Amino acid sequence: MTLKADWEVIGAPVDPDTTDRLFFTEHEWETVEAATARIIPTDQDPGAREARVVVFIDRYLSGIDYVYAAADGSGFLKISGRYADAWRARMADMQKTYREGIRDLDDRSVLEKGARFKDLSEADQDDMLETISGAPKPGKVTLGTKEAVTTFLQGSFDEGLEFFPALCLHTRQGFYCDPVYGGNKDQMGWKFIGFPGPKSLKDTMDGTYNTHEYFHEGEYDWHELIPHLKVSTWAESADS
Amino acid sequence: MSVFKRKPEPVDAIIVGLGANGGTAAKVLSEAGLKTIGFDRGPWLRAHEHYSGDELKFVNRDYMWPDPKMFPRTIRYDENSEAERFPFSPTPQMVGGGTNHWAGWVPRPRESDFMMRSLHGDIDGASLADWPFRYEHLEPYLTKVEWAFGVSGIAGADKYEPYRSKGYPSPPLRPTRYGKRFYDACNKLGINAFPIPHAMVTNNHNGRDPFNQTSFWNQYGDPSGARSNILTTFIPEALATGNFEVRAESFVREVKLGKDGKATGVIYIDPDGNEVEQEAKVVILALGAIESARLMMLSKSSQFPDGLANGSGLLGKNATFHEYLFAVGLFDKDIDEPLNGWTGNYISGGSLEFYETDESRGHIGGCIISASQTCHPINWVFPGRPSWGEALKDADRNYFNYAMKIGLILHDLPVESNRVDLDPNVKDAFGLPVARITHRPHSNDVAMGKWQVDKNIEILEAAGARKTVPVYLDKMTGNTCHQHGTARMGTDPSKSVLNEWGQAHEVENLFVVDGSGFPTATGVNPTLTMMANAWRCSEYIAEVYSKGREEHLALVK
Repeated sequence: MTLKADWEVIGAPVDPDTTDRLFFTEHEWETVEAATARIIPTDQDPGAREARVVVFIDRYLSGIDYVYAAADGSGFLKISGRYADAWRARMADMQKTYREGIRDLDDRSVLEKGARFKDLSEADQDDMLETISGAPKPGKVTLGTKEAVTTFLQGSFDEGLEFFPALCLHTRQGFYCDPVYGGNKDQMGWKFIGFPGPKSLKDTMDGTYNTHEYFHEGEYDWHELIPHLKVSTWAESADS
Repeated sequence: MSVFKRKPEPVDAIIVGLGANGGTAAKVLSEAGLKTIGFDRGPWLRAHEHYSGDELKFVNRDYMWPDPKMFPRTIRYDENSEAERFPFSPTPQMVGGGTNHWAGWVPRPRESDFMMRSLHGDIDGASLADWPFRYEHLEPYLTKVEWAFGVSGIAGADKYEPYRSKGYPSPPLRPTRYGKRFYDACNKLGINAFPIPHAMVTNNHNGRDPFNQTSFWNQYGDPSGARSNILTTFIPEALATGNFEVRAESFVREVKLGKDGKATGVIYIDPDGNEVEQEAKVVILALGAIESARLMMLSKSSQFPDGLANGSGLLGKNATFHEYLFAVGLFDKDIDEPLNGWTGNYISGGSLEFYETDESRGHIGGCIISASQTCHPINWVFPGRPSWGEALKDADRNYFNYAMKIGLILHDLPVESNRVDLDPNVKDAFGLPVARITHRPHSNDVAMGKWQVDKNIEILEAAGARKTVPVYLDKMTGNTCHQHGTARMGTDPSKSVLNEWGQAHEVENLFVVDGSGFPTATGVNPTLTMMANAWRCSEYIAEVYSKGREEHLALVK
């Protein structure tokens, strides 16, 4: 069996401008593209539509060949053995979630608004997303407040998510991922948010990409930052 | 799966789990001349070849986290519910374990951590216990780990640190912008802030090349020599002795017990699905406190029907997990300077100002706090962020570079009913019952979390935050990947599973050298303490036990 350390690199970085569909039907593609464009809408800055989030989601859902980019971004890893079994099972569930979710969104749109989701106005599309989300459309963040929340998980894996939360998570991923995955075209998500990301994944492996200029600029003196050092009995002095 | 393959040659020692503690044992035992085999159920990756700054792969798609279909866990929050699948405490299961993905906080424990019961007596609903050794017994090993593994820090900067015999081998990183804010705010409030000791080097200590300055750090693999990772330090050092062999993607499903009451070795499933038996004179478990307890429970026999070496009935109980709680502060893009919360190597300035008990706070104990990275675009930390629409877009645009976070590692109290056992329904990819967690926080945990998160908000406000988002303790999620307590160390075999050397009271050649043995959780990140203890126990195995001798520590009460 091929061990995980020896997974072969296959394929190539995804072309964000492709119109080849690997998983979605034409109608599903257009529906998902329209929905992602309401999740991260286009305003003075590009949104999910321009960043080609739909390409990203289509590739992800197509099987297990677009799950993990090769470390240097030259292609994708060919998952083997039990790992492949687990991913195939998970992907089959997620494909079903999308197929059924899109059908349900359309059915409800026809019932409530008289047309399928992709043919609705943006305002009506927002109404429908509000309906399937089961909560009011989120309001703007305001300063000057304290809002407590409980429970926080470090990763956000998509296993077992329902359609709308999965679509929101995948839209975010497709907007901000490394462009090798087909989304974040021309790094437009990163530019929008002010994240000076690496030109390529390879640049993160050899010291080419360096972020120290974004740390604290200029001089600093540990003895000023840590007044206790001035009275510490430790003889070693810290260099800055 | 299959045929039993022919037995390979017996060896001196088997280590199961090659993370922080198994890797430490591998180094110490193989350097002492013991023929040792290390098993890990996960892969043996090559850092320089497999690691890069891919947020989607490392943070969202579980490239290193355990696959929840292959190795599920379950949790329930009361005794009567059916446990649900949940990726509780998903420490990477692979050669190097959690040191592959960790931020690398390695503060030293405090003297009080070893004597919680002596200090506080009986606390209602908790099961405090003293450790069977003290800080002074561990200190030489803390120093060994700091130097052999590589830690950066400034000796003398932590006003409350106990005695240390040596400084640090590497100076810290330059401060981040939010780190600088944290120092300034703490100085305003009279809090002793300093760079949290960090399992990374910024110099060429031990010939390392710390070229990674990408800020892809917490949860990412590091392709350079900056991060102190077992995979790139102790494993190659152990292999270089010629006495050590790694068997990766090999799943140990049972520790075998012989008629003489000693472990004979392990049964494992090799990468091709064959079942293989490997014999050894000593078996050392280091799978982490959840999986070590599970493996012992899976290793039932007529002598130990409730799990290996579990005559006390305490195996799996008194589990503590810490929990990462924090508060985020948001700043105003139109007025304030950017904080670049995505920069740095996760941790930055921190403090142990609130560590020791002050009963006026309404709880006992205390914990470490630290300003830390708010991370990268997909997953940047803003709990309660709008999930879609214009509000989401505005939140990302306005606050991605204008947020700051101050977190804490909750020092949770041991409670006997908080435990790991075998789930009656859910099985892993090998058809074996998975670990089930049963947990309800002690009221002291909730109170400490609330008090300290509120204190962190005061610091954020002193730093100029214009909105704060506190994350209090609701329930334990295992989000620190810290695990302890499931096989307590102690002197009394009726009240503990292991003795002061991590040796099972009832199976003399079985040792557990991970956090399982911790009688109490401590309020600092546990890995430095665990590794120092693993080193100490492994030295005992090599220098005393393997030579047919027995020694015990005498503690002055």
